[in-house]
Amino acid sequence: MTFLSQFAETTEAAGGGDIFTTLGIDWRLLIIQIVAFLILVFLLGKFVYPWLMKSVDERQANIEAASKAAMEAQKSAEANKEAVAELLAQARKEATEIVSTAKLESAEMVSASEKKAQKVAEQIVANAHDQLEKDVANARKVLYNDTLKLVGLATEKVISKKLDGKADNDLIASIVKAAK
Amino acid sequence: MPGRLSRRAIAEYISAGLIDGTSKNTLLNQLAAYLVESRRTKELDLIVRDIEFNLSQKGVVQTTITSAFDLSAETKKALEAFVKSKTKATQVSLTSVVEPSVIGGVKISIPGRELDQTVAHKLTVLKTRFKKA
Repeated sequence: MTFLSQFAETTEAAGGGDIFTTLGIDWRLLIIQIVAFLILVFLLGKFVYPWLMKSVDERQANIEAASKAAMEAQKSAEANKEAVAELLAQARKEATEIVSTAKLESAEMVSASEKKAQKVAEQIVANAHDQLEKDVANARKVLYNDTLKLVGLATEKVISKKLDGKADNDLIASIVKAAK
Repeated sequence: MPGRLSRRAIAEYISAGLIDGTSKNTLLNQLAAYLVESRRTKELDLIVRDIEFNLSQKGVVQTTITSAFDLSAETKKALEAFVKSKTKATQVSLTSVVEPSVIGGVKISIPGRELDQTVAHKLTVLKTRFKKA
């Protein structure tokens, strides 16, 4: 309100002058300022604005490229994520197969070892039986031979004691008789 | 020096002399002298065996009887008859040997043959024949 009052007062004080005078504008100065402004605009348009626009375009291109790269990275990350998930699944599958194969192989190995051990044990037992039978047979043979020897010795002793000259002559006579 | 005589020739000479009734001492002295001179004393056992064999071929059998006890005359006679019957000999000369280790029975040895019917031999046969290897 104060400003409008002052403006009205100034207009009334100026009386009947033109509008520039009334407004306090020097038209020459205004032209010069316009020209200067145009020169400034020309200069800005000629030198500053293209550089500025170029810089902005570059920045925009960079931003777009970064955005694009980010999107691609995101896509790639997603793709990688899927690949990783696939790889993980494959790895889990392979690990499961390896574990099952290892379990199967270990079970087979244990079974084979058990069979081998059982076979060896049976062989040892069979060998022990054979050896035992041989030992028994040898012992029987030795016992038989020793008994035979003892029987021979005993017979020899008994006959030596029992046989006298007369009996021997009778024996010889019977031998001669049988030999004829 | 006379040539080397064969054992067969020596045995033939000695056995012929024994059958002819030549003195045994003379024949033995001749044999001993020849063996010493010809350095063949090591062949004595072989020559004696040849003489016995030669005599047996001519019907004179030298028989060695081995027994554990002295044999009675009857037994000797029976043995002589037995040898005669088996060898077809005309004359049997018995030599009796007492050897207690034979235990009992008799072993009759004639040149080239032997009949062992002693108890010791039978026991040895028993022990060896039935022995398990």
